[in-house]
Amino acid sequence: MDKKANQTTREDFERIFHPQRLAIVGVSAEEDGARGFGTGMLNALNAMGFEGDIFPVNPKGGIFAGLTIYKRVEDIPEKIDFAIIAVAAKAVPEVLESCRKKGTAGAEILSAGFSELGTAEGKDLENKIRGIAAKGIRVVGPNCFGIYCPRSGLTLLPGPDLSRQSGPVAFLSQSGGMAIDFAHKGKWMGIAFSKVVSFGNGVDLRETELLRYLADDQETRVIGMYVEGIKDGDAFFQEIKYTSDKKPVIVCKGGLSLAGQRMVISHTASMGGSRIIWQSILRQVNAIQVQNLEELAEAALAFCFLPQGVFKQISVVGGGGALGVTACDAAETFNMEIPTLCASIQTRVGHLLPKPGSSGTNPIDVANPFVEPKVLKKILRVTAEDKQIDLQIIISLLYHYKTMARLLGKPVSQVAPYRELAEGLRDVVKETGKPIVVILANPKRGVDDLDIVEMLALARREFLDRGLPVFDELHEAIRAIGHVNAYYARRNTKNE
Amino acid sequence: MNKGSAFQIIEIALKEGRSALSEYEAKQVLAAYGLPVTRECLVENRGDVEKTARKIGYPLVLKGCSFEIAHKTEKGLIHADIRSDTEALEAFDEIKKGLNGYNGAVLVQEMVKGRRELAMGMTRDDQFGPCVMFGLGGIFTEVLKDISFRKVPLNKREALNMIREIKGNRIIDVIRGMEAVDTEILANMLIQLGRIGLEFECVREIDLNPVIISGKNPIVADALMILQ
Repeated sequence: MDKKANQTTREDFERIFHPQRLAIVGVSAEEDGARGFGTGMLNALNAMGFEGDIFPVNPKGGIFAGLTIYKRVEDIPEKIDFAIIAVAAKAVPEVLESCRKKGTAGAEILSAGFSELGTAEGKDLENKIRGIAAKGIRVVGPNCFGIYCPRSGLTLLPGPDLSRQSGPVAFLSQSGGMAIDFAHKGKWMGIAFSKVVSFGNGVDLRETELLRYLADDQETRVIGMYVEGIKDGDAFFQEIKYTSDKKPVIVCKGGLSLAGQRMVISHTASMGGSRIIWQSILRQVNAIQVQNLEELAEAALAFCFLPQGVFKQISVVGGGGALGVTACDAAETFNMEIPTLCASIQTRVGHLLPKPGSSGTNPIDVANPFVEPKVLKKILRVTAEDKQIDLQIIISLLYHYKTMARLLGKPVSQVAPYRELAEGLRDVVKETGKPIVVILANPKRGVDDLDIVEMLALARREFLDRGLPVFDELHEAIRAIGHVNAYYARRNTKNE
Repeated sequence: MNKGSAFQIIEIALKEGRSALSEYEAKQVLAAYGLPVTRECLVENRGDVEKTARKIGYPLVLKGCSFEIAHKTEKGLIHADIRSDTEALEAFDEIKKGLNGYNGAVLVQEMVKGRRELAMGMTRDDQFGPCVMFGLGGIFTEVLKDISFRKVPLNKREALNMIREIKGNRIIDVIRGMEAVDTEILANMLIQLGRIGLEFECVREIDLNPVIISGKNPIVADALMILQ
């Protein structure tokens, strides 16, 4: 492990993620009218309701949003915990050095113009930053979007409207775009964050050091990563292995090529391109590999909402044409099973279902989209009594309520009984101890049906607020549950 | 064979500026690390063919053996299922002809009987260092690419995991009247391959293909070791 990471205490990281006194270097005064990253960040922090004190810095001085702009970092009274640096690349080393001298625990450097340019000057500036970091200030970036931490109100560029709700998911990304996209995605999907770090060129803090920190971070239960390149394969391997033993690490590896870059002779080497090696390495450490950001978000959602465990046998309640076939195919692909319910349960479920056209086996086809929430609740309660069943999925056909809304002359959001359904399902989970996963299917997403889209967004929130994970599609949910199963199954055998 | 002699074989090859070991040499290194390899002798002179063939026992495989030739099949340098002195001499002559110009001799090798073929190997990944490979062998290695890798060092659990990870993992179970493969041996072979990768920085790549399953025992029937 990196020596310096050892020396950086948890207290230092606390000052980085939850700074009480924050400097933003590179804020332009109001009368100058400039809109640089620094100014944008200050506005974003204000919009987020950042809870600490902010000290803007610009050699020209002035006033911004009622705050005095200090001419130099040295002029800020007393200590600062963290600095956001958004000055021109060539000015960064000097600013960073003054932050370090002031005892700042860390800094994020939003400025671009370093090694990513490929120029000697850019590389030289980056080396200077590295040198200063080595003397005792932790650096995120340069060329990054920074840190998002809902608890303190720190936010990514340009994120004035990210959630302030803290949660168990941390996300690490070289790419700033991926970080901000994921943070926004999480907000409506129901993923709440502990920390999100976009580390850009990663001169100092990057995948390995941050993993090390998050492994023992009490606020973080699930870690997502978007990785392009890594700096030190051996160190990364050790860290991700250590971390994966404690909590799930979901990895999306970008830039995988089929073959290695070198000239090779043996078949082993020619087949050992980065794609298969990464896949194998991630299995070896019991990390979860996903193919894209969507799959990462879905997996993170499942890890957050489901209890730790393996859910092999599931029941599916829903409707729609190929429900049975689709569900069974998806389940089989991800090593799960939709077992036939035992006879007595089938009979009892059968009595609750509308006739004709329904089916009380598993998947349970309710045949009619307007089956009342209280009936659905009863069905799920009875199904849970089957000892085979570990987890239940309900495919909600709420979008059909538009037809009813039209007849009643009311908006669909007033007609669809999503709140009642959410409450009912929550009760069933509480009573039975078996998790329920909700699929909010919606084939109607065009401009004619924005009312449905809106209603489902409201419905999603009701389900999420009651601890019920929501997915758009059945196969996405099953794939995500599959990741949970694979992780805990492997972790359990490991600990045997 | 011990690790000292493995070291010597590689040392000599490096001194001669060679970029690979011959099959014969590679297998001596493997044997030194406890991997089961075919019984075989290197024959330079036509006059020694019959004696050697009888010592090992028919049926045999005769191969052109040269550090200069990585892939022998394509060059017609493998003659399998040799059942008599006459066939052995014929094969010897043809291989000698085929070797024309290359440094090399003829490898007289027991023919391992088994319908199942596996592959193993070692490569060095730019980021993760030495990694071992396991997969289906023979022509299926390239056709199906049903393989798994692990970064080394490897413990037994991980070795067993990577064996189970390939899609065709049932090939090592009881199947069509064939015994289950001894996975202890397989796992140990993978662990030892990883050790070679760790202990010899100069060994860049290793291919063991096919590893033929005879009864329940895997035996390395062909080996390639690339140096750097």
